[in-house]
This record gives sequence, C-alpha cells and structure tokens, in this order.
Amino acid sequence: MNLLRTWAVVRKEARHIMRDRRAFFLVTISPVFLLLVMAYTFMVDIENVAVAVMDRDGTPLSRRYLAGLGGTGDVLVRYVAGSYDDVERWLMTSEAKAAIIIPPGFEASLSAGREAKVQVLVEGTEPTTANTAMQHIGGYTQQFALEIASAAAAKAGVSLGEGSLAPIELRMRTWYNPTLEMVIGFLPALIAVVMGMPAVTTTLALTREKEHGTLEQLIATPIRRSELLVGKLIPYVLSGLLGVILCVIVAVYWFGAPFRGSLAVYLMLSIAFLLASLAIALVMSVFVKTQQAAQLGAMLVFFFPGFFLSGIFYPLVSMEPIMKMEAYMVPTTHYVMISRGVFLKGQGLDALWPFALALLGMSIVFLGLAILLFKKKLA
Amino acid sequence: MLTRIWNLAGKEFIQLWRDKMILLFVFFGPVSELALVAWATSGDINHIPTAVVDRDRTATSRALVVALENTATFDADYYPLDETAAQDLVDAGTVLVAVVIPAGFEETLLAFEQPAQVQVVLDGADPAAARAAGLSAEGAVATFAQQIALQRLGHVTAGWGQVIKLDTRVWFNEELKTSNYEVPSELGFMLVGVALMVASLGIARERELGTLEQLLVTPLRSGELIAGKALPVLILSYTNFLLMLGLVVFVFQVPMRGSWTLLLAIAFFYLLIEMGWGLLISAVSKTQVQALLLAFMLMMVEVVFSGYAFPVENMPWLLQRLADFVPIKHWLIVLRSILLKGAGVDVFWRELVSLALLGVVINVVTIYLLRRRLE
Repeated sequence: MNLLRTWAVVRKEARHIMRDRRAFFLVTISPVFLLLVMAYTFMVDIENVAVAVMDRDGTPLSRRYLAGLGGTGDVLVRYVAGSYDDVERWLMTSEAKAAIIIPPGFEASLSAGREAKVQVLVEGTEPTTANTAMQHIGGYTQQFALEIASAAAAKAGVSLGEGSLAPIELRMRTWYNPTLEMVIGFLPALIAVVMGMPAVTTTLALTREKEHGTLEQLIATPIRRSELLVGKLIPYVLSGLLGVILCVIVAVYWFGAPFRGSLAVYLMLSIAFLLASLAIALVMSVFVKTQQAAQLGAMLVFFFPGFFLSGIFYPLVSMEPIMKMEAYMVPTTHYVMISRGVFLKGQGLDALWPFALALLGMSIVFLGLAILLFKKKLA
Repeated sequence: MLTRIWNLAGKEFIQLWRDKMILLFVFFGPVSELALVAWATSGDINHIPTAVVDRDRTATSRALVVALENTATFDADYYPLDETAAQDLVDAGTVLVAVVIPAGFEETLLAFEQPAQVQVVLDGADPAAARAAGLSAEGAVATFAQQIALQRLGHVTAGWGQVIKLDTRVWFNEELKTSNYEVPSELGFMLVGVALMVASLGIARERELGTLEQLLVTPLRSGELIAGKALPVLILSYTNFLLMLGLVVFVFQVPMRGSWTLLLAIAFFYLLIEMGWGLLISAVSKTQVQALLLAFMLMMVEVVFSGYAFPVENMPWLLQRLADFVPIKHWLIVLRSILLKGAGVDVFWRELVSLALLGVVINVVTIYLLRRRLE
C-alpha cells in the first residue's frame, strides 16, 4: 500500500465533503442534532397517569378511598364518571388510562368484616403506562386496607407497633446513576445510536463514483483497490470523530451527564466503532449500483438494528440466545456497552477490551472483504 | 396527460428494476427486519440476572427471594457472600440487580416494632432494565409485606383483617402484551423509512446526474412530473405496508378488531403525507447526499415522536406540541385504535383531522416549491 496514493484519495474525498456545504454541515452536525432531539424525548417519567373514577357507593369511606388516590402523583383523577357509558368512552379514546369503580355496599361490606370489591378497568394498549397505573392502584388499595384494619384494631384495644403498617422498608439504590434520571442513563447509549450517521454517508462515497461514472477514471489511475478504499474511509472516520466530540460536549455540558472514564480511551474506542461500521458500509456499497439503493441498505443495516437490537430499550439479558448473537453482530451493541462503561461506570480498557476486540475484528474482516470483493474493473 | 404520467412512472420502475438490490431492499428488507426486531423485543423485560446476598438465612428471607423470583423479572442466579462481591458482579455486568437481606430480617419483621429492611441495588447504566426491575421489586416486596401484616392483623382483630379485593380487568390488550404495543410501532417506522427514502431521492437523483434537464425539455408538465415521480413511491410503499400488516396480524398475532377497509383507506392517505415529505426533501436538496441526510434526520425525528420508548403524553409540553406536527404520531394512534380497540372514526376523528391538515399543508408546499424549481 502506497501512503502517498492513499493520501491523495483522502484529500479528494475530504474535498467532496467540504465542497458541498450543506452536506458537510449535515455530516458533522446531524449526530448532535439527533442527540438533542432524542435526549429531550427521554426526559420523561411516567407520572400523573389520567384515570377516571366512579363512586357508586357514595359513602364517607368510599369518598376517602378515592380522595387519597392521586396523593403520590403517580395517577391523576381527571374524570368523575356518572355512568358506565362515560367510563367506556374515556377508555376507548384513551383520555383515561384506567377507571376505578366502587360498587354499592363498599362501606357496608367493610364494616361488616366482609371482603369489599373495587373494580378497576385498565386501557391496555400502552402496557408500560397500564402497568404503572395498576401497580400504583394496587399498592394504594392495600395500604388503605391496612390503615382501616389497624384503626379497627386500635378501637378494639390492641395497640400495634410501627412495623405493622409498613413491615418492610425497601431501600432502592441505583448505582452509576443514583437519581435514575432517565436521560442520564440513556445519553451514552444514544450517542452510540446517532453515531451511525457517518456510516450512512459512507455508503454513498463509493456508489456516487459508480453512478457518476467517475469510478472509471479512478480505475484508470495506478491506484490499488486497498488504497482507494482506505483513502475513502479516513475522511469519514475523522468527520465522525468530530461528531463524537461534539456529542460528548453536549452530553456533559448541556445535559450534565457524568463522564467518569478517560476521554482518550473513549475516543480510541470510538475510532474502532467508526472503522467497523464504515467498513460494513463499504462492503455494502460494493454491491449496490445507485445511491438510492445504498441509502435503503444503510437504513436496514445501520439504523434499525442499531436502534432496536443494541440493548437500549430492550436489555440484551432478556433476549433469547439466538437474538443475543444477532445483537452482538451489530457494531452499535458493542459501542453502547463502551459508552455506558466509560461515561457511567468509569471503566477502562481492562473491562472494555472484549468489545474493543470485537469492533477491531469486525473492522479487519469487513475491510478485507470490501477490498476482496471490490473488483477494480468495470462490469 | 395520464399517458405521460404513466410513461414517467414506467421509466422509474425500469430504473428500480435495473438495480436489483433496491427491489430486494424495498420488498424483502423491511419485512424481514420487522420480523427480526419484533421477535427480539416482543417479550417483557424479565429474567434479569440477579445476585442475592441473604445474610438472614431464615424461612422468611427465603420466602422473599421466592416472591421476587415468582415475578419472573428476576433470576436469582448468584449468591455472593457479601456486598463487595455483589458489587463486583454488578460492575462486571454479570448481574443487573443485587438484593441484600440483612441479618435479623425475620426477627425484626415478625416483632412488628420496626420495619425490617431490604436493599435492592440496580444497575443504572441500563435504565430500561433498571426501571423494569425497580417497578417489579417494589410491587413484589410491598405485596409480600402486606400479606404478612394482614395475616397478623387478621389474627389480632378478627373480622377487620379482610382485604379490599381489586377486580382488575384490562381492556383491548387483555394480557398486557408489550408486543401488541410495540410491533405496530415498529411497522410504523419501517414504513416511514421506505416511503421517505424512496421519495426523497427521486428528483434529487435526476438533478445530480443532470437528467432533470432532459425531462424538462420533454412535453411533460411539472405537475405530471411530480405525479409520475410520486406514483411508484406510493405503489412500493403501499405494497410494503400490506406485507408488513400481514406479518403483524398473522404471524405476530396482534389482534385486528376493527374494519379492514377503514385501515387500508387511512393507510393510503397517510402514505400520501409521508411521500409529500419525501418529495419536499427532494425539492430542497441539490445532491443525493443532502437528500439522504435530511431524510434520515426526519425519520429519526418521526421515530422519537412515535411514542415507542415513552408515551408522548408524558413528554414536556413543548415537545408534545412539536409531536402534533409529526404525522406518525397520529397515524400510530389510528393504527392501534383500529387493531386493538376495533375503534371507528368517532374515536379518532381528532387524529384524522390533524392528519388531513398536515397532508394538505405538506403537499401544497411541496408542489409549490417543486413547480417553482422545475419551471
């Protein structure tokens, strides 16, 4: 491989990126822009879930039960229904996510020492919200029952210790992200997702030459195929690295994410990720003839697996073994681990080497494959 | 006029046909990808590897561990001797949750003087797992504690120990299957992807390669040019939609309770809107690289506002208003309502009105811009 010839291709490709101002802006800025948009939509806690109530008992006890329902802010009593039709309509339109209906005889049953029933109807189309509402309503009801029971016990002359109302105190601690602020936990992983953008642009680098017919001119030069491909790769790795740095700055200074590891290690491993994903992009662009096909392929190969299979929304540990294997074949999965490790856990190469090794392996295999498959001749 | 539109559409199809990869990507890609992603993410988040430090070693502490395991969220695979060993397991990522039951747990609990303590440590680096584990642990421990308390109270105050029983019924998604929510969302993204990608490059390619001038010297009018470019996009993306809908309903067993006619008709108009976006990108981009990057950014924006990760109604106010301008938000509400609720227009007319307004505005702007640029 002749470095001088490679360098010539690097300069040519860098000029392509720089000359198209709008494209240059998009290449370097788009990851940060996407990070901002995505991070803001992750600043979300499921609270104040809208619920409807219907009190068919109408006694002081039933009113007390319903009044305390919104106490912790998990659910918000937004509607008071007069009939089942109301309830049905609100659930149908999702204006209420759940309805709590107290049947007649609620107080009477409880005073008589019989089991009282409360009906809960849940709108199940959004399982996360539905679960949150159900959990809260269940917990609140049990607490309410305990309070009534202990009040009755006190009246009967039995005094109970503090421990009988809340027998177990659960202390929840979240390591690495003590407040479990969603956005802090997700930010490092989101950087890994948005950094798929450079690979998307790289797919076009080779197909553009094919489509314009300038590949023939390149073929006529003494340049070797490895020099051509490596030369194409380098400018995109560098502009991608610029994107990584911008993302880290935004994550740390704008969103206040902790950066506990070493920046040098992070940038080094980012290069490994960029190399791996760009090498895959090159292999793909060997096969396609037009930029349109390259773009569709990039979406299928980088965007969707990177977003859904990399363990951001759905933890790898819950995946079936075959899916886990599939997930580990996506470079983004490894980069997500690296990002989380460096940002939140302050891990170094001693802990992250398996992911680094996987990325380097992918880079070598796919770059080799691209060089092998890319015939320096016309079809 | 129709012949001219049809001729241009025919030329587009020949071009697509020539690059076999495009056909492969358009037809096979989204469908297989949807199958893959839906399969990978269709389960609930459970079987999270968990370390248990049981320093009490009594019947009650073991019962608590069993109660946690019964939620199916936790797999108590590791029993380290102390907290330090547990911390090492969390650091290494071997477990995502550690449960610490201190010595004297049973004694404290059954004395009912002070609350007995249990500590749960979550790996905050994986927020999705941490959130699921936290919710599940809270629920399991509270139920366990209250059962014990109620047993005791029932013992001391016969009669008042009865519980209030919740008769809970879940509508529309009776088993609360996550996949019934997520698979339709995933269909939504794939569809947006295909429609935007195919539409956005249509005119940008002709401009970049200089063939747009050749098209402009033909008797083709600008309106016909736009229609001829739009037709293949519509046909491709609608076929794609049908394939993916078949997968969602027949393979992933998402219930289809509403009217097929209604769904198929609304899907067509929805695709018109997304195609309008794509052509708009095509109109403002000079090169295919620009069009591609713009299309990708628009697609990412659509994905985050689709309510896949978090429901839109829990987002900050400003973002919710922003989400109103994103067609996929309304479309997914309509899609889910028809699939899961069997709802009719009376339920989601607001979404339909929003979609119609968006569609008219986007397409009018697109046609205006394209005509000005073409003439």
